Amino acid sequence: MSTPDTDELEKGTSLGHDAWLRLRKNRLAVAGGLLLVAIALLCLIGPALSPYGYEADNLQLGAAPPSLSHWMGTDYNGRDLFTRVMVGGRVSFAVGLAATAVSLLIGVLYGAIAGYLGGRTDMLLMRIVDILYALPFTIFVILLLTLFGRNFVLLFVAIGAVEWLTMARIVRGQVMGLKKQEFVEACVAIGMSRRRIILRHLVPNTLGPVVVYVTLTVPSVMLLEAFLSFLGLGVQPPMSSWGILIGDGARAMEVNPWLLVFPGLLFSLTLFALNALGDGLRDALDVRGAKD
Amino acid sequence: MNTAVRLSSLILICLVAVSCGRQGGSSASADKPFVPKPEKNDNVLRLGNGDEPQALDPHLVAGVMEQNILMSLLEGLTIEDPKTLQPLPGAAERWEISPDETVYTFHLRENGKWSNGDPVTAEDFRFSFERLLSPNLAAEYAYMLHIIKNAKAFNEGRIKNFDEVGVKVKGERTLEITLEAPTAYFLAVQSHFCFFPVHKATILKYGRIDQRDTDWTKPGNFVGNGAFQLVDWKVNEVIRVRPNPHYWDAATVKLSGIEFYPVKQAETEERMFRGGQLDCTSTLPLPKLDTYKKEYPHLLRSDPYLATGYYLFNVTKKPFDDVRVRRAFALTVNRQLICDRILKGGQMPAFFLTPPDTAGFTSRAALTGSLHEARKLLAEAGYPGGQGFPDVELLYNTSENHRIIAEAIQQMWHRDLGVRVSLVNQEWKAYMDTRRKLGFGLCRAGWTADYNDPMTFLDLFVTDGGNNNTGWSSPAYDQAIAEARRTSGSTRLEAFQKAEAILAAELPILTLYHYRTVDLVHPRVQGWYPNQLDHHPYKFVSLKAD
Repeated sequence: MSTPDTDELEKGTSLGHDAWLRLRKNRLAVAGGLLLVAIALLCLIGPALSPYGYEADNLQLGAAPPSLSHWMGTDYNGRDLFTRVMVGGRVSFAVGLAATAVSLLIGVLYGAIAGYLGGRTDMLLMRIVDILYALPFTIFVILLLTLFGRNFVLLFVAIGAVEWLTMARIVRGQVMGLKKQEFVEACVAIGMSRRRIILRHLVPNTLGPVVVYVTLTVPSVMLLEAFLSFLGLGVQPPMSSWGILIGDGARAMEVNPWLLVFPGLLFSLTLFALNALGDGLRDALDVRGAKD
Repeated sequence: MNTAVRLSSLILICLVAVSCGRQGGSSASADKPFVPKPEKNDNVLRLGNGDEPQALDPHLVAGVMEQNILMSLLEGLTIEDPKTLQPLPGAAERWEISPDETVYTFHLRENGKWSNGDPVTAEDFRFSFERLLSPNLAAEYAYMLHIIKNAKAFNEGRIKNFDEVGVKVKGERTLEITLEAPTAYFLAVQSHFCFFPVHKATILKYGRIDQRDTDWTKPGNFVGNGAFQLVDWKVNEVIRVRPNPHYWDAATVKLSGIEFYPVKQAETEERMFRGGQLDCTSTLPLPKLDTYKKEYPHLLRSDPYLATGYYLFNVTKKPFDDVRVRRAFALTVNRQLICDRILKGGQMPAFFLTPPDTAGFTSRAALTGSLHEARKLLAEAGYPGGQGFPDVELLYNTSENHRIIAEAIQQMWHRDLGVRVSLVNQEWKAYMDTRRKLGFGLCRAGWTADYNDPMTFLDLFVTDGGNNNTGWSSPAYDQAIAEARRTSGSTRLEAFQKAEAILAAELPILTLYHYRTVDLVHPRVQGWYPNQLDHHPYKFVSLKAD
């Protein structure tokens, strides 16, 4: 009879489970993840619980500092900042998620295919990326605006159209290095399909840089959203988003500092949480570093 | 890496914000009132001027910022008294008016010179008027000269020969102008830029008489007859002028120069003022007004200003083709609340177009009615409780202050009428373009008087007027304005009353408030008198040395 100990050893664990165990040990990452979930929940549920609407103004009150009735104070039109921060968070999270999804789905696959197949296919695919890269973003956005008019959905189209490009390049570079390694040769030798090699063996190996890049993408698109909103593509007043709130707050900071401090604080916390989680994920998923 | 940089900068911003908040508190308790220390002590007046001018050609511009610059470079037949705005002798030393008040004979001064030393002649003025009225030049402000006999016909191409227009050269320094009808403000309007002379030889050196955008306005080429001459024009940076040594009254000019800064953001302008980089600003960010009222009242200037802010309705499209909808929208706006709680600068709610007591005229007709009536009107128009109301856009030119007001009004319509209006902002040139093409449902606008007379406001909305921008047209209104042009005294005022009554009944515009100037002026600036047009002839302005 084998002892339970050896039994467990022989059973082994899946890659995902392995990573999960490692991630759980990383306290900072766990804290980051929890914080992120907490902020997301707050933004999702909070506005429904708030006694104020995000657009309900109170001109008599005007800009008031934080108080018991308005926890984060009010803006110049007398609107509750707490509610506006929570509602704005939805937009910012949605934009962040959309960008992440696009760069993961399109960017990673595109880069992996180009990198693995190489040759002419690679040439063709990467030149397409180059062309899209060369398109000045502002002009692209204005083009979208004139063709389709002002539409909130276009915000996601614009961000989606550009956010996978860098990711594709990063993954392609990684895959080009990986495909010369023995484990890929082994896969080819035992007759695995290309599709299986790319999805099962190459993509998981690129996760390190991918995760790091995603954590960089999210904050940058949140700022991009503010820029696009200014051009008229994103959210329009009286709707709010973190980008808009921070932009407005920065202008009013000398008179009404709370208008900058609270949205800025929440934005920073979100980025911290994302970074901590991203770091943890990278360590947990890095198959090479953790096979010891 | 990128994120780290962003994060740290954000935190830094937060810290700065908090510390600034504290600073604000401590300065209030200081003994001596805060006065920005001028960055340079070179006797140069530095002005915030809002935006980059469209051009420096007096015949091709239409804005307040261009007026500010051009009145330093050029001088009309008369100039304005800095306090009362009464016409004073300018390029013309004296003038005679015929008994029927239709023929003005101007005698130009002997020592009147251009900045290159050439004498200012009657021919220069005749040439300038011909240029502005040339159909090919297509000047926006040409209609201002239509008070001159046959000028309208020449401007519209019905007369080819300028000799038939009521502008005659009677001698090298004698100019005779014949008007269509007696016009009380004719002398005063000579200080408006569209009546400024241009140097004939210079214009013809760089192009034809009716050619737009030639090089003549470039520094070095520009020849003017004003108290100052153009030194430097850096686009989006600064325009510099210095005293013109050939100016006939050069002895009165005290400044060593003026610099005009095209600062678009009110916040930036205010910061530059505090840093001693500007002596006067063109505006003030709304959120800062309370701070200035409380802590730095000695820097704040708020004076009566002949100007009205309003929203234009596009009456050519649904839903604003229906006067009931326009009326419902107009009645719902709580103007008092906007003036008291948002603008806070002493502006007055506007229930008619012409500011009260403009040259003795106050409209009897005014918008009155209740919210209840507004809801009923909207229901009658087919949108009970705002149901089925089409998508409407409110267009405004990019500005924090305009947005704050627009958001408040957007809420009023939403709350009280159940109507959703979306806000769209565009930068100045795009905004002007969309506005002219009626590409909006509602559009923010404001009109500053060009001269102290109701006509400057009321002739805006004649059929196809250059600044009508609503698509609205009313024969009765056109008739009232035509009558006011023909008549004088109380008959004329009655014609204006008729025009205001038609506006109040048909509401092609939603009047919001009558302006006041709200800006910052450094205490060292002397001779900057409050007046209704916010014009400050620079030759009377000086800087007090420390």
